[in-house]
Amino acid sequence: MHIAALVVWEKLSAERALPNQQTVDYPSFKLVIVGDGGTGKTTFVKRHLTGEFEKKYEPTIGVEVHPLDFFTNCGKIRFYCWDTAGQEKFGGLRDGYYIHGQCAIIMFDVTARLTYKNVPTWHRDLCRVCENIPIVLCGNKVDVKNRQVKAKQVTFHRKKNLQYYEISAKSNYNFEKPFLYLARKLAGDPNLHFVESPALAPPEVHIDLAAQQQHEAELAAAASQPLPDDDDDAFE
Amino acid sequence: MASKEPEHEHREDQEAPAAEDEDTGAQVAPIVKLEEVAVSTGEENEDPILDLKSKLYRFDKEGNQWKERGAGTVKLLKHKETGKVRLVMRQSKTLKICANHLVLPTMTVQEHAGNDKSCLWHASDYADGELKDELFCIRFASVENCKTFMQMFQEVAESQKPKEENKDASDAAGQLEKLSFQEKAGEEKAVAKQEEKETKVDTEKADTEKKDGEPASST
Repeated sequence: MHIAALVVWEKLSAERALPNQQTVDYPSFKLVIVGDGGTGKTTFVKRHLTGEFEKKYEPTIGVEVHPLDFFTNCGKIRFYCWDTAGQEKFGGLRDGYYIHGQCAIIMFDVTARLTYKNVPTWHRDLCRVCENIPIVLCGNKVDVKNRQVKAKQVTFHRKKNLQYYEISAKSNYNFEKPFLYLARKLAGDPNLHFVESPALAPPEVHIDLAAQQQHEAELAAAASQPLPDDDDDAFE
Repeated sequence: MASKEPEHEHREDQEAPAAEDEDTGAQVAPIVKLEEVAVSTGEENEDPILDLKSKLYRFDKEGNQWKERGAGTVKLLKHKETGKVRLVMRQSKTLKICANHLVLPTMTVQEHAGNDKSCLWHASDYADGELKDELFCIRFASVENCKTFMQMFQEVAESQKPKEENKDASDAAGQLEKLSFQEKAGEEKAVAKQEEKETKVDTEKADTEKKDGEPASST
């Protein structure tokens, strides 16, 4: 319930914020994310929001708007990520999702050929409403061994002047690149880069004995729960 | 394959646009003008006493499962003046904070039952700018790194102890004093007597300990 309320609020504030008014005192941009259902749009956004990798597939209904902040050498910036429902493709997305979009990501799944075939349709719909915005084409799930769409077969971005990245929301491969590219284009600064956000001093806390015992009991229970991705050591 | 991505190579992308990133995008007019700003890590007054690549998880109590929080570098930072130590972990590439909490004497770190490269602890985390109770688990590339981390964490926690304990002890003493002042005059004697008794016992105890060759500081 909390999340739903937040989504609605964020949606409203993003709409109100556009085209150029801001609800935060630093630059913010409406980012529209489109692509077929199941290509990993929500998983990608969630990965950036909380760090987690969601394996379960729950189709997005309509749209969910999430603010996503980045720290750059030119200050803090925010993307309002409009994570849209891929399943609605056949009906098409409502124009409201695209209106005032300032940048976009078109996602496909390199393990499902059809999702790449549908990229031109997503691109056409997007460009009908949003003219001359920076767009990144993302081929997701490149960590999967048996891909159906090889890097060389991806040519659409050259025809239509899009930027292309191979990404993996699972392994985090290139996961920051789409945002970095869009930020550079929106600011017209090819040298813009991410910097360490300030790690503020945590306030003092006092843990009493009862709380300490409770934490230890919780730890003991959690210690036997397996880690979600025990097998991969990609972070080395 | 992409999953075996050499992270060090990609990390350099933060500094400058990499040559491999061919820009095939259309020329679009920028919509904001941003000026370079002074960057503060917030870590300027601290020295890193540990710095290791790792993956961090938080425990989702509702779902009774571990969830990824981020992959990057975990640091233990010691403040140059106060000597306080905190744990700070940043996500690689975006450099966002995944964990930021003080290492306190009440904390203990323990091994993960099913993975000897991992260990876990509880903390009041300040990563989002508000305190949140979290159970964290961290996974390293090797058993050695995990051991190094656990040892350092535990040493730091213990090093913060003496001061805290003294403070607790004096707090307790202060409260006792207050209590005894609040007692009625009639009861005061009894309290005093009892205190006397306790002192006696304490001295006796200290004596026996000395005989046993125990260091006096052990009380």
